[in-house]
Amino acid sequence: MNKELYDFIVDKKHHEFRHTVDWNLGEEYQKNNLSPVERMADRFERMCNEEKPVILEGEQIVFLRTVANLPDCFTEDEWKDIKDKNYIHELGYMSNLSPNYYDTISVGLLEKRETADDYGKRAIDNIIMLSDKYLSEAKKQGREDIVEVLSQVPRYPARNFREALQFFRILHYALWLEGNYHNTVGRFDKYIYPYLKADMDKGVYTYETALSLLEDFFLSFNKDSDIYVGVQQGDNGQSMMLGGLDENGNEVFNELSELCLKASYNNKLIDPKINLRVSKKTPKERFTLASHLTKAGLGFPQYSNDDIVIPALQKLGYEYNDAVNYTVAACWEFIIPNVGGDVANIAAMSYPKAVDTAFRNSLLKSETFEEFFECVKTEIKSACDEIRANINNLWFVPSPFMNVLMDCDIYSGGKYNNFGIHGTGISTAADSLAAIKKYVFEEKSITKEDYIKAVEEDFANSPELLHKLRFETPKVGNNDDYVDSIVVSLLDCFADSLEGYTNCRGGKYRAGTGSAMYYLWHADEIGASPDGRRKGEPFGTNFSVSLFADIKSPIGVIASMSKPHFERAINGGPLTLEFHQSLFTDEESVEKVGMVVKAFIDKGGHQLQLNTVNRETMLDAQIHPKNHKQLVVRIWGWSAYFVELDKEYQDHVIARQAYSV
Amino acid sequence: MLGTVFDIKEMAVHDGPGLRTTVFLKGCPLRCIWCHNPEGLITKPQLMYKENRCVHCDLCKKECNHPECKPFGRCLHICPENCLVVSGREVETEDLVKELKASADVLGDSFGGFTFSGGEPFAQSKFLISLLDGLKDYHKCIETSGYVDSEIFKVVIDKLDFVIMDIKIADKDKHIKYTGVDNTLILKNFEILKSSGKPFIIRTPLIPNITDTDENLTKIKEIIGDSTWEKIPFNAMAGAKYKMLGMEYRLK
Repeated sequence: MNKELYDFIVDKKHHEFRHTVDWNLGEEYQKNNLSPVERMADRFERMCNEEKPVILEGEQIVFLRTVANLPDCFTEDEWKDIKDKNYIHELGYMSNLSPNYYDTISVGLLEKRETADDYGKRAIDNIIMLSDKYLSEAKKQGREDIVEVLSQVPRYPARNFREALQFFRILHYALWLEGNYHNTVGRFDKYIYPYLKADMDKGVYTYETALSLLEDFFLSFNKDSDIYVGVQQGDNGQSMMLGGLDENGNEVFNELSELCLKASYNNKLIDPKINLRVSKKTPKERFTLASHLTKAGLGFPQYSNDDIVIPALQKLGYEYNDAVNYTVAACWEFIIPNVGGDVANIAAMSYPKAVDTAFRNSLLKSETFEEFFECVKTEIKSACDEIRANINNLWFVPSPFMNVLMDCDIYSGGKYNNFGIHGTGISTAADSLAAIKKYVFEEKSITKEDYIKAVEEDFANSPELLHKLRFETPKVGNNDDYVDSIVVSLLDCFADSLEGYTNCRGGKYRAGTGSAMYYLWHADEIGASPDGRRKGEPFGTNFSVSLFADIKSPIGVIASMSKPHFERAINGGPLTLEFHQSLFTDEESVEKVGMVVKAFIDKGGHQLQLNTVNRETMLDAQIHPKNHKQLVVRIWGWSAYFVELDKEYQDHVIARQAYSV
Repeated sequence: MLGTVFDIKEMAVHDGPGLRTTVFLKGCPLRCIWCHNPEGLITKPQLMYKENRCVHCDLCKKECNHPECKPFGRCLHICPENCLVVSGREVETEDLVKELKASADVLGDSFGGFTFSGGEPFAQSKFLISLLDGLKDYHKCIETSGYVDSEIFKVVIDKLDFVIMDIKIADKDKHIKYTGVDNTLILKNFEILKSSGKPFIIRTPLIPNITDTDENLTKIKEIIGDSTWEKIPFNAMAGAKYKMLGMEYRLK
């Protein structure tokens, strides 16, 4: 790692090369009556022209964004009109795809140009033009190494590890510049390893020199990422997948995978976001290796379980060769590289809302708990029906270069066009139902009327009930079947409610276990809940326990959270565990955290993300942000710099249960 | 039979091999002035008050009809922040064994075994023996001060797979001064342990100017010879729980 370059980027000194443009493209395009694809092609051309080549001292992997903004292709009125006629997902531009970088890296852009459509050709010409500007700059600076690399790529196939990395950087950069977002990295160790291996066999790299180059490459993900903002700074979707099975059933994990874990550990930056595919067969040592990265506190790696995910995707209709090749979208949604056109985060369903509606409208008339639970299930079903009814005529702004990099015609969708629906607050809902079952129907210690009144009053006049509900009632996370069985039923019900329907692109619906940012948004939709959650308190993120549940240990959480039938709800969404930093004292403790992960995978858990946190540090960071600029936390499916988050997101991480010993 | 535990920690990382569940038995004959588990000293359940979370609503001071609240003069079932917790749960061997086996099942192959700690687990030796007998098929370990009748010590050692024993202070008078008891019995039991053939380690907590002196450490080294020896760094947070229990932390 080049320390000067690292500091330069971390201190954001490269921002001095940036400028903004004030083009009013939407109006211009509207006046000239340009079609959407023509607009995208034109804007990309202008951006490539506007970009100035910057080669930083000591930099091996080049390309830096110097134009900090990207004017929209449409006017506000046009967007209004588009939205009247179509369902627009988020920003309307393509996102959360995993393009086929390998294919292009291995043949070169000139060969890709042969088969591209006219807009694709134009995009390729513009990237080559921009690359040539970098080549001239490299010549001017006397950077022979860069001259050599850029004389080969991106026109021609990469011949070695460094060219492959530079080629990737150019393609990834171009996707962002075109206006696509949440551009994922995919199975990096699978498609880049052949280049590293060949070089290592030839003696070009040692472990150390390969690591140093990889660290520079990883640093490149952090040069422009602040321009790629999602809901919060850090939510940028640069997800990298390591390990897992290949099409022949062989384990991919290789020297490059190991180097990636190490490079991420050494860099301690929030990008790229490291994911690791594991299974029952994964050796114990690999969990230890990965737990060293967990210890670094970046929220990496996030684990997915091949034993669960692959068969579940097949069950949904994915061909084996595609299912086995899965990666994750921006956060944790399972998507298929190269051919998948799934929209894995199209909407979200709130379990606590379903419970809330049934509680207020149907509890009084329910004579048994089963009867009441049926009412909750009806609410879940109708929430799903409503979500489905809302999504028609899905339309994305066509991106010519993204289309070049996908193995399918991405404008009309991909080989798979399934829609993923998140499910928020499952533990809050299950804890609520357990309390209702116990106190209303079994013990009969509270009347339905009093219970409803107490919840409506936010427990203002019932402190004893509040205490009982919060601290003396079965909660998800303690391996208690009384409440865990309700989680199982709720997830089954969610899956049932989406099964058998065809979406507007001919695909299916996938029930998920993620929450994305809805753990805050959906919590604000309702008041207090029957589990003792007070008005304004958020839900846990993703597939997690409630924030105030009295949890004895992460072992109970693992037991509770591995019970559901994930094979029926495989859109993705991890169990999230927070470990206190003090847990990691020595090698032995790292190894034991790895064993906890292994236990979760062995038990059939589907996905897991771990956060290493220090409450005291976070509290101090809220008061003295300048002292904690590099403090990283995991939010809902991505890692971020703590001090760059809005306070509500900061507070949520602080409020989560951190396990220590 | 009935015993009293004050905590069960799953995923104990430093209490023996593998991912372990540690059972903390309440009660101890020693009174080490640096003790960091003061709730383990007496067998009787005690009220712990987490003052830092208290919102001073005084709801707990209102009279209630719960019999379990009577001994403490506070209502345990009303605090909005859960500041009042009773440390010490009376539990039947059979129920505890069942509970412990369930937690072992979750971890499958990753489960390392059970560790009995305290307090001093030997302070409830009959209960301890009943638990060891109930968990025959598992790896079992103890963390002990070694201050127990030697016959009982032998019986229990025989049922264990691994022993972690403290030798805190070598000098007899200083041992009495800082722990409240004579170490003759402890040193005798150490010899029994050594000749038992059971794998073991010796631990010494490093308490500034008390146990961490060159003199003490040299003498301990003479006693234990080549036995595996872990020196445990002083825990600066050790005094934190005293205030919650209304007790005084004597180590200044």
